[in-house]
Amino acid sequence: MNEIARVSDFDVKDYLRLNLMPHFMCPGCGHGIALRSLLWAVHELGIDRNKLAVVCGIGCSGRTGAYIDANTFHTTHGRPLAFATGLKLARPDLTVVVITGDGDCLAIGGNHLIHACRRNLDITCLMLNNEIYGMTGGQVSPTTSATRVTSTTPAGNTEPTFDACKLADAAGASFVGREVTRQAPALKNLIRAAIEHDGFSFVEVMSDCTEIYGRKNELGESAEMILSQKSDMVPDGLGNAPDQPFRPNRMATGILARHARPEYGRTYRERSAELRAGTEG
Amino acid sequence: MTAANTALPLDDAAAAADPNPAQARNIMIVGVGGQGVLMISKVMALLGQRQGLQVKQSEVHGMAKRGGIVFSHVRFGKEVWSPTIAKGDADALIALEWAEGLRWLDHLKPDTGVFIADTRRIVPPFACRSRKHGATTNYARETPAEIVGRIADGYALDATSIAEELGDVRAANTVLLGTLSVSLGDPAAEWLAVIEELVPKRTREINRKAFEAGRAWAEAARADPELRFDKTIAWRPASRPHADVSFEVTINPAWCKGCDICVKLCPERCLAMSREQVATVKHPEACTGCHVCEWLCPDFAISVKTNVRESATA
Repeated sequence: MNEIARVSDFDVKDYLRLNLMPHFMCPGCGHGIALRSLLWAVHELGIDRNKLAVVCGIGCSGRTGAYIDANTFHTTHGRPLAFATGLKLARPDLTVVVITGDGDCLAIGGNHLIHACRRNLDITCLMLNNEIYGMTGGQVSPTTSATRVTSTTPAGNTEPTFDACKLADAAGASFVGREVTRQAPALKNLIRAAIEHDGFSFVEVMSDCTEIYGRKNELGESAEMILSQKSDMVPDGLGNAPDQPFRPNRMATGILARHARPEYGRTYRERSAELRAGTEG
Repeated sequence: MTAANTALPLDDAAAAADPNPAQARNIMIVGVGGQGVLMISKVMALLGQRQGLQVKQSEVHGMAKRGGIVFSHVRFGKEVWSPTIAKGDADALIALEWAEGLRWLDHLKPDTGVFIADTRRIVPPFACRSRKHGATTNYARETPAEIVGRIADGYALDATSIAEELGDVRAANTVLLGTLSVSLGDPAAEWLAVIEELVPKRTREINRKAFEAGRAWAEAARADPELRFDKTIAWRPASRPHADVSFEVTINPAWCKGCDICVKLCPERCLAMSREQVATVKHPEACTGCHVCEWLCPDFAISVKTNVRESATA
């Protein structure tokens, strides 16, 4: 009985800017599911919306933040993590969530990502990975799988891909996880754990681009794409996902890494307080 | 021939009834994953070895995660060849789960076989006909009284509850071992020594208590046939309180973009696409409230509301 009550207690409409709905995303786009899971996690954590700041970059993922009825900030391409770093340092009382995409985060903003991971500031970064630059016309992105057709790789992609989670882990993120949109409750739990984590949390959300990516590659309609996610994933968490040069078809999901590292904001404030005390005394 | 049989002293009555005492003793242990079927078979095997007998054991396991079928054959005697027990050839059948016991009943020796079962139900998912709340299941309907009455030497006890009362539900298998030890007639000390050797150190005390509780139960049941099956605690009500639950699926047509995810992913096929390519609720009564449509709607167009009305009896 309790679990039934708990499920129905969350109404996504309470967290949306209803005057902007319905949102601009294409039919079947996984970003909507990711957005709902984020709001669900926020609801469960009981975060005050006045204390929630959502920072977005450019692209389909960048537009998702606009629909959240909280403090939202639409920034320049690839730089949401840089803006969020400044925001969190100035206002450590806020819960800062960054929503970014695979192109925004790994290509244009790749440099910002690794340095945000390295600093380990208490920010939660959701990377909505749909393997394509959807908004700008379907160009190849750093996570587009091998042989996939995009508008810049009409004969199939030949470039190897990034494993964003391994990249974030190696760069120093203290919490790294991945989940598919098909598993919305698990995604909610992962985002919840990421927000609760004290330090930089990187969550890769495997999302579907049905209009520009799925259709060109004959991956089926939105329902087929979301169903195939489950056969592609290995719910191993920290376990034994096989090492593959090209990412999908066997991807590990769950919490992939969690390290105890000093949170940068605290270190920074402690040091500056020491220095201030030193000059005054 | 008779001298060889003294290695494993049997219950006098059973030994007298046994036409071929040199034959191997066949013990079958059945249950579902995670109950301790293999622990019982290890005890039996070690016990056989201690008595200088040949022991053969074979098992099907690995479904532990799913609560799937697990069974184990233990055969011991002066000379044992086959590691498996044929139908109608088991001297004892130990069932850690009630329906699993019924499944393997035909392996028991029709006239002398000992049947010892835990009456606690573990309902497998495939026994569920429908995912609706309060739906009936295909789970075995036979009562312990019916089954025990049909068998030469049958015992049905709620070993799980006995173990629970002792403090650890995981000791239910040891309770059944205690019951079996009375039937096979070996000295309790010998069994206890083997059990203590096999269980983790910190659980020795609880396992000893569980073994003795099982033995005490069996001794009482032997004295009085009326006590051979538990009447009162066998069938427990489901743990979920009874309630009238109904689900209400609402679709906001203004937000729906007709992506078809909800229609194709609803496990009960409640939803359909209208001619205007908007999802509609076609079979509202079939909804089980799983919320998949609500969770996976990228356009926030679906909401599933649960209406709970506690029934008068709950």
